[in-house]
Amino acid sequence: MCGSRNSDGRWSGLSPRRWFEGTGLLSVLGATRPTPIQITFYCACLCFFAAIPSGCKRADPAPDAPIPQVLRISQRNEPADLDPARASLPDELFIIRALSEGLVAPSPDHAPPSPAAAERWEISPDQCTYTFHLRRNARWSNGEPVTAADFLESYRRVLTPATAAPKAPLLFMVKNARAFASGELRDFSAVGFLAPDPYTFVVRLEHPSSRFLAYAASGPWIPVNVRTVARFDRTWTRPGHYVGNGAFTLAEWQPHQRIVVRKNPAYHDAARIRLAEIQFLAFDNGDAEERAFRAGQLDVTMAVPHTKLDSYRREHPAELHHAPLAETRYLTFNTTRPPLDDVRVRRALSLAIDRDQLVQRVLQGGQAPAFRLVPAALRAPGDSAAHLGSAFRVDSAAARQLLAAAGFPGGRGFPRLELTSWMIGAPLTEVIQAMWKKELGIDVALVTREARVHVAALRDGHYDIGFITAIPDVADPANLLDDFTTGSPGNYPHWSDARYDALVAHAALTPDPTLQAGYQREAEARLLAECPLAPLYFNATNWLMRPAVRGWHPDALWTRFYPDIYLHED
Amino acid sequence: MLRFIARRLLETIPVLFIIVTATFFMIRFVPGGPFTAEKAVTPEVMRNLERAYNLDKPLWRQYAGYLGKVVFHGDLGPSFKYPNRTVNEIIADKLPVSLELGALSLAIALAVGLTLGVLAAIKRNTWIDYLCSSVAMIGICVPTFVLGPLLVLTLAIHYGWFNASGWYGPIDRILPSLTLGCVYAAYVARLTRGGMLEVLNQDYIRTARAKGASEVRVIFRHALRGGLLPVVSFLGPAIAGILTGSFVIETIFQIPGLGREFVNSAFNRDYTLVLGTVILYATLLIGLNLVVDIVQVWLNPKLKFE
Repeated sequence: MCGSRNSDGRWSGLSPRRWFEGTGLLSVLGATRPTPIQITFYCACLCFFAAIPSGCKRADPAPDAPIPQVLRISQRNEPADLDPARASLPDELFIIRALSEGLVAPSPDHAPPSPAAAERWEISPDQCTYTFHLRRNARWSNGEPVTAADFLESYRRVLTPATAAPKAPLLFMVKNARAFASGELRDFSAVGFLAPDPYTFVVRLEHPSSRFLAYAASGPWIPVNVRTVARFDRTWTRPGHYVGNGAFTLAEWQPHQRIVVRKNPAYHDAARIRLAEIQFLAFDNGDAEERAFRAGQLDVTMAVPHTKLDSYRREHPAELHHAPLAETRYLTFNTTRPPLDDVRVRRALSLAIDRDQLVQRVLQGGQAPAFRLVPAALRAPGDSAAHLGSAFRVDSAAARQLLAAAGFPGGRGFPRLELTSWMIGAPLTEVIQAMWKKELGIDVALVTREARVHVAALRDGHYDIGFITAIPDVADPANLLDDFTTGSPGNYPHWSDARYDALVAHAALTPDPTLQAGYQREAEARLLAECPLAPLYFNATNWLMRPAVRGWHPDALWTRFYPDIYLHED
Repeated sequence: MLRFIARRLLETIPVLFIIVTATFFMIRFVPGGPFTAEKAVTPEVMRNLERAYNLDKPLWRQYAGYLGKVVFHGDLGPSFKYPNRTVNEIIADKLPVSLELGALSLAIALAVGLTLGVLAAIKRNTWIDYLCSSVAMIGICVPTFVLGPLLVLTLAIHYGWFNASGWYGPIDRILPSLTLGCVYAAYVARLTRGGMLEVLNQDYIRTARAKGASEVRVIFRHALRGGLLPVVSFLGPAIAGILTGSFVIETIFQIPGLGREFVNSAFNRDYTLVLGTVILYATLLIGLNLVVDIVQVWLNPKLKFE
């Protein structure tokens, strides 16, 4: 592309000298005397770049006009589909929850789930049977009444193997649901769902559970209008086809551009909904998102570029928001590979990491150092302990002792292990590498892999130490703890401990919430003592939001609560 | 000429076959699949997913099935990532956007680039030449991911004349096509200048001048035709580059074009979408190179089709 022709007409590579001569750049650098016009031109160029304004001035709209109730939110992941059965990301539920609602809905501020399509429910004394009473005035957006049969058919669809619902396991608490989903059981009537009349829906559980409502509020429990699904098949989620029972209806879906939902006047609680329209604008890049926010195209962003955090803290603190997330980022140790099969080595590595430093000096985004696995949002009420059983506060002396006891005094003879991460891990893993070098005298190699290659390597055990994240689907510690039981697909340390497995299983079968939380804490303490993983920090989110947006509840599990949101200009 | 085109088209078939086969197996051998996520799915769900997408069948049968559908029905299959859309639908949806962006950028590139290049060549070694060449140099040096945000910061955020991103109205076309067009304009300007300078020294130009042809006639009738040759050979790969390489521009301005689908499909392990876009881009590249060869022969009487 950068070739030029010689005088004899042949193509040749371009020599740098010739390249510069043609442009006059060399003359400015002193090769020949620059002409006044050249000087003027370069000054003009310099002025253009120097004058790039850093502020964000913008004409305000007319002051008297009532502010339109149109909320423009950044959508960072294009939804794969808007089918509740197929959704696997919180990003898809951002939109699905505006369009449809389940029996119960999550509540802000970790409150218990609130009534949605069901106006009330009864729990049997043995906590095995939940009877939901549906609203008689609830309607699908095509005018049909929302009945118990709709829920029954929706859940049959989620559990049918051919649907291949990625989050079907969130229904596995229900009697025989797992057997039906795996194809062992063919008869759906044996699954614990029952619709005795159009407005009563009964769920029978495999085991008594006090956590069931949290699961019933999760994504795959949102019903679909099965007649619409049957009629349009895979295209049923497109605008014009979509039928939901939620507060908004799907008006527009331009893939990778925007999704628009409008207020559904037929919604049973329509009087409470103040937004007329929500626009989900597609952004897959944090810088573009931030620029659009400054240009006034967006009301709420998904994140703030790391480099812009400080300037927003200084100059526009009212627009910068922060909330903790129920997400634990941790290092997983491959416990099948020596020397990481030795708990003393794992513990030494964990103890040598100064998590406060990581959070304050490296991440700087309001994350919290993690000394245990379960994040605050998932813990039982009253469980505010930052540490559990074994402390992870940085303790280099203890770490060195443990390493010496394991046969590596001063790090001598320690093999060169690999610390693997995916793209976002880079600055963090570099600091951990330095901490281990300084405190323990050991060298690790840093490896960065593409996200799916990384996860596949962790899953198949082709790694030494890996940086990864744990995000629960629902507000239940069991959802995280289950991952580390023997043979679980999320058990990246490939760790197996009979006592831990027994404690987790025991907690699952304990209906009493206090006792259950006790067993779960004991299981977590066991996990932390055995160190198949080293928790690093609890993630947090920073986002930009116009002061005009009111009633926005941040949520640690990324749930959105649209009914309270409205726009108000002071 | 028809024989030449027919032969080239026939050569295309094995080339495409090799590209499709290599891509099919390469993407399958990349670790991690379309359903790999940090929250691991349970074995029964994975089984159901693999069955639903025919991933449980032997690889050669998947390959044969895919090839059969593509060749006999032109069906590129359903997308793994976006289950409610087929690859054909996604391409039909996104290609026009990329084509529009590409066409506008190319128009800007040619209009600006040819003007600057011709001006620089005629006024060789004057301040006009230095000015045009310097602008071209800056255009080549400043990458799109710098120029794009700079334009947004000034024209969209500071002055508020444009949207910072999006692809909604005609006004949203201006900044992206300007950004993409500027880079190519720079190359076109440099190539035009070089081509023109060489042609202007040829004997036939001297002859034309000697016969009393006006300078305008000499430039546009005699010199430009030969001077454009390097530009034309550049344009083939450039058009393909604009269409395939619009990923950066599409990301900066959040344009729903095919370039982003192409790159993201690989990250998503959307096997069918990867193959669909690769087939499309391969066909485009082969086709454009053929067109360039034809135009070059037409412009340069020294060349022949054989």
